Amino acid sequence: MRIFYLLKKELIEIFRQKELLPLLFIAPLIQIIILGYVVKTDVEHVPVEIINLSKNKHSVKIINRIQQTPLFEVKHISYQNKDVVETLKKGKVKAVVLFRDSLSNVDKKTQRESPLKYPAARGTYMRRLCWNTLQPSVPMETMKIPIQLNYPEIQILMDGIDSNTSSIAAGYFNGIIKKYILSDINRLGFRLPVENKTLIRFNPRLKSINYMGPGIVALLLTILTLFFTSISIVREKEQQTMDTLLISRLTPVEIYIGKALPMAIIGMIHMFVGIAVVVLWFGIPIRGNLFYLLISAVVFLAAILSYALMISTIAATQQQALFFAWFSMITFILLSGLFTPTQNVPTVFQPLVKINPLAYLIKIIREVFLKGNGIEYFYKDLLALIVIAAVIISLSLLNFKRFISK
Amino acid sequence: MRRIKAVIVKEFAHILRDPTSLTIIFLMPLVMMFIFGYSINYDLEKIETGIIDFSGGEISHRLIKKFSNNRYFVIENLREKYPDPLSAAEKLLKSGRLKEVIIIPAEFSKKIKNRDRTEVGIIIDGSDSNVANLIYQYNELVLLDFISDFQNLDQILKVKTKILFNPEVKSSFFFIPGLIAILLVMISAILTSISITREKEFGSIDLIFISPLKSWEIIIGKTVPYISVALAVGALILLFARFWFGVPFRGNLLVLLIFSLLYIISGLSMGILISTIAPSQKTAMFAALLSTLLPSIMLSGFIFPLDSLAPVLQWLSHLVPATYFLKIIRGVAVKGAELKHFLIEGIALAIFSFVLLFIASIKFNKNRKRGK
Repeated sequence: MRIFYLLKKELIEIFRQKELLPLLFIAPLIQIIILGYVVKTDVEHVPVEIINLSKNKHSVKIINRIQQTPLFEVKHISYQNKDVVETLKKGKVKAVVLFRDSLSNVDKKTQRESPLKYPAARGTYMRRLCWNTLQPSVPMETMKIPIQLNYPEIQILMDGIDSNTSSIAAGYFNGIIKKYILSDINRLGFRLPVENKTLIRFNPRLKSINYMGPGIVALLLTILTLFFTSISIVREKEQQTMDTLLISRLTPVEIYIGKALPMAIIGMIHMFVGIAVVVLWFGIPIRGNLFYLLISAVVFLAAILSYALMISTIAATQQQALFFAWFSMITFILLSGLFTPTQNVPTVFQPLVKINPLAYLIKIIREVFLKGNGIEYFYKDLLALIVIAAVIISLSLLNFKRFISK
Repeated sequence: MRRIKAVIVKEFAHILRDPTSLTIIFLMPLVMMFIFGYSINYDLEKIETGIIDFSGGEISHRLIKKFSNNRYFVIENLREKYPDPLSAAEKLLKSGRLKEVIIIPAEFSKKIKNRDRTEVGIIIDGSDSNVANLIYQYNELVLLDFISDFQNLDQILKVKTKILFNPEVKSSFFFIPGLIAILLVMISAILTSISITREKEFGSIDLIFISPLKSWEIIIGKTVPYISVALAVGALILLFARFWFGVPFRGNLLVLLIFSLLYIISGLSMGILISTIAPSQKTAMFAALLSTLLPSIMLSGFIFPLDSLAPVLQWLSHLVPATYFLKIIRGVAVKGAELKHFLIEGIALAIFSFVLLFIASIKFNKNRKRGK
């Protein structure tokens, strides 16, 4: 019963700060909606410039196709050679596509006039993609396509700074060009012996929001609870009101729970709102069982709240607490697999991934949302999350008791 | 001048007196850099692939060999391992142990031998759209290579791809220079806003307000220490980027320094503005986070490319100073861009900084007169 008074005090303290309320309730809503639009890794509308030195009708047709896809935005088409490196340095376009007639048809002079005035690359992209040990294969029965088919020679020059965009966009270009040429050969009666029939599961339209969206909810939970809880005790320490609490008849565990519970309630509200936004606004279906999702979220909240309280007991000033919280938040988020796959994390940091509660939550959220997997696919992750939560809670409680007895 | 110096000394004393915070200020950027440099990469290193070969025969083995010879594919032959390979494949895909399953239909080898057409079925786990995209492209390359054994396709497709500035397509070239932009805004905006609101909470701000110091002297005195901390952190990361991660520095250091200063000023002004409004450290921290740091991370092209954003958000991104600074720092460091290449961005950044500084000073002065 006594704990309710503490709970009431904490809630009053939160609601009394008028400036804080919009930050606590409206900002997260706006944030999740904006984040939903921002956090996408789709490569679309890549700005390109086209240099067409070819007199070939095929190059015009390929350019048409490049103009038509939403993947690219053709900013400029020029018919004269120019310094490509200079164009890319300006950064208005991320790729330059250069069409030339096949070298056999062009005199040697133009051949030497390469637009690429950049020191030779150490290893080109294609070589990186290509297999290392390729045995020279003896052609079996060749089904030759006549070489005199006169397709333009195409050079794709990408700005490599954004490695992700450039490798994916390069693939798009190759795909468009190949598709065009293959269909043209097809028209003449030549066909490929093997067709690639690809089926994409779980996220057939390859929308990155389906992958990122549910994760944002977890992100939001982490940010909010970590910040607000991490200063809850240290503030009372700084303002010397902690002693009042200590001489009251509340037991340490009650104080601890009273401190954690308000944010837990707010966190749960955020989670429900977050899930609602993700499902209703962004139309991401929940394929799995929402129940397991909620259990995991509650366990996660318990873990992160007690972690924040631990920060709060250790820190000497609010500023320190906020820094600690900020620092842990960044580490939690970056090593959670939300933005980039955790298997790319080097072995040195792998233990950090293993003890990161957010990593498990995000994994479970994705399994439930995207793949619709049942508990048999992620019971290990849920168990790990529970163990981590238990360890953090007991450490934090121990710490708190020690702090109080001082 | 002497008075400004006094404020600077006092502010430095504040920073140095709290070694814990100072350590965090310097340690955090380093840790973030290592995490970003090593862990945050999109590079696809391994594609766990399951193969179900219903055909057998020399030609289908040749196809499997093409995949297993490629250093990206880790091949697992499901037909040898499981009695029911198709449902095993389904399970492995769902659990995420396999990223794709390649199904070679029966009579694949025979059909190709008879110059018949056939196909290869591929199922890709599409959860992470970018990974799926890359896997699809790699498959295409391997298949194309396989086909060129029978058909002179490579002589028809004359497409060459060259990636400039970053030939090995390393993510660190993208993230580490970008990280400087994020850390600079973090240090300048968050630290300043907290340091001023703390004085407000403790009431010591009144002592400064009633002193003979002019408002601009207070502002300069309060910000110079944070400018130097920010520059020190920026230099530290630049050094690590160059000598540890091998990110090239091709441009002019002085140009970068000038624009970094402008950028830091924009962050500091935001920090001062926030501190004039926020009553407590908590609110200041949160407001600084929401109004400077998050936009700088999310709406600047730091992680997510701006080109694929919705038009409204693209427009919003022009209001974030980090958008301009990121273009400048990536251009200068990695591409060796000169001032003429980013003239518009440079001017925009300068305008931003001075307008923000102007508004912040006015607001600060007003608050001082009202005594809060």
